[in-house]
Amino acid sequence: MARGENNTGAHGSGNVPPPATAASTAAGTAAASGKQQARGAGAEGQSVVRRLQSELMALMMGGDPGVSAFPEGDNIFSWVGTIAGSAATAYEGTSYRLSLAFPGEYPYKPPKVRFETPCFHPNVDAHGNICLDILQDKWSSAYDVRTILLSIQSLLGEPNNDSPLNTQAAALWPNQDEFRKMVEKLYKPTA
Amino acid sequence: MASEDGCGGGNPPGDAAAAPPVWNAAPAAGAGCGDLEEDLRFQCCVCLELLYKPVVIACGHMSCFWCVHNAMHIIRESHCAVCRQPYKHFPSICQLLHHLLIKLEPVEYKRREKEVLEDEKRVDTYSPQIIEFLNSKSNNCEIDGENRPEESNSRPPQEVTSDGNTINGHPKKVKLEDVSCALCKELLYQPAVLNCGHVYCMSCLSSLDDGALKCQVCGGLHPGDFPNVCLDLDHFIEDYFPAEYDLRREKIKLLKGECNQGSSSGTSCTKEGRGRPTNKENRAHQDDDLSDVHIGVGCDSCGMYPIRGKRYKCKDCTELIGFDLCEECYNTESKLPGRFNQHHTPDHRMELDHSALFNRLMRLQGIHEEGPGEIIIEGAFVAPDAVVHIIADDHEEIEDNGEDDHLL
Repeated sequence: MARGENNTGAHGSGNVPPPATAASTAAGTAAASGKQQARGAGAEGQSVVRRLQSELMALMMGGDPGVSAFPEGDNIFSWVGTIAGSAATAYEGTSYRLSLAFPGEYPYKPPKVRFETPCFHPNVDAHGNICLDILQDKWSSAYDVRTILLSIQSLLGEPNNDSPLNTQAAALWPNQDEFRKMVEKLYKPTA
Repeated sequence: MASEDGCGGGNPPGDAAAAPPVWNAAPAAGAGCGDLEEDLRFQCCVCLELLYKPVVIACGHMSCFWCVHNAMHIIRESHCAVCRQPYKHFPSICQLLHHLLIKLEPVEYKRREKEVLEDEKRVDTYSPQIIEFLNSKSNNCEIDGENRPEESNSRPPQEVTSDGNTINGHPKKVKLEDVSCALCKELLYQPAVLNCGHVYCMSCLSSLDDGALKCQVCGGLHPGDFPNVCLDLDHFIEDYFPAEYDLRREKIKLLKGECNQGSSSGTSCTKEGRGRPTNKENRAHQDDDLSDVHIGVGCDSCGMYPIRGKRYKCKDCTELIGFDLCEECYNTESKLPGRFNQHHTPDHRMELDHSALFNRLMRLQGIHEEGPGEIIIEGAFVAPDAVVHIIADDHEEIEDNGEDDHLL
């Protein structure tokens, strides 16, 4: 058994050449050069759509406090998520919007997740890119939108200061009062 | 300084990743032994639908045939989507679970069959269409009599359970014999599934383990780690046949005098300790050297994926996915038709495949560009038909790298 051997051209139609070096994950050391192929609704399109629909159903039925997500417009491959800062953290009372872009190989490859609301955090850069292992090399096909958002929510309160994307935030983290002030100062909630 | 909030600043976000996914809790939701509540328990954690053609990995977690295969790493060992335990062999479909699901959820399973077949047509690669053909049950009736372990001197399960097959006078969809051990023929107690897909009580399997774990039904050698209890199946059986399950529990306690496995909640009743640690360590050493890896190519007999070492390729199979064997299976003259519904027969011609050059290029490119560690991320999860595209891309990049070298 050899995946896809000999079928050159047979499925070429869905093949979009990947961006040379997708600069989407400017995530320091752990950055994988994001060579995910945006094949959209290709061969696996149907099963991806089914899985995303199941997730949407579960999210709408379930309702976790503090996280929510919904597809953006008609495109089921592009979602908007919201997470609320947990109580008793520097992010209490804040709410952040994130974008989730699902590749055609989802859930075998992780979605690209970014903060749309500016977020002052050691593991989030100025463009909203997130350095989180489960969105990169520790991704598992059993993760879903819900677990991603919950992980990011807990990342807010428990940053990994060893490999910061935002060194200023990492340096300020030990001083939680000052840190909280910066979070509030840079917080621009989207309407 | 620190934190009125009490949050652990140094905790890596990996902690979040280590948390078990939610659906682990699913069995708790399956109320009683009702036949209707099973879809949660038998929901695939990858596609989130009813398991279809389930395979069980050595760690005891199960997914659909394609959900496991698509998630397998094309270059290195794979990791279970739920618990991350490494594995290197694509298990065969578990016939017992397959038939169990047909009985439990006939309509939904049929719907899944249609759905998956559509997907398979799209990529022109198929899962086994006649599952019985893969690892036939029937050819082993003779062996059974001889190989019964000590438990067999007790009475057959049918006597105990004439009542067990009915609920409120209605026949249960699943009969005791549908969930019986391949060895002791009694109701499965703490079932574990071998790589070939056959299911045994953990206690029966342990009694077999003398160096090499060999399936008593199909004769296949079980590669990799000693399997863990498949807890979802175990919980199902306990709920569905509570009285019979208790009897089995008692009996095994008596026989074995081991109480530590008695509780049903014994998470992943691990036997790895007594598995084959030496093998495991040897394999770990090999992992750094990728030169003998046949990227994205698996053995159609033992399921090793990707094949390491020599690869033998069928010259006569016409299916897209081809037919390949690892050196060991080639030498033992496997008679299996293939894991993807190929029509391979023993008289097909096999040849040694020389794709080492390509592998070396991949390796050089990997090291050159990102270091070997990053290859994992690159190739991590590839859908069956995506390999071609990746290969094409990589060739381009190899050329690019070559030019860079000249410039330097």
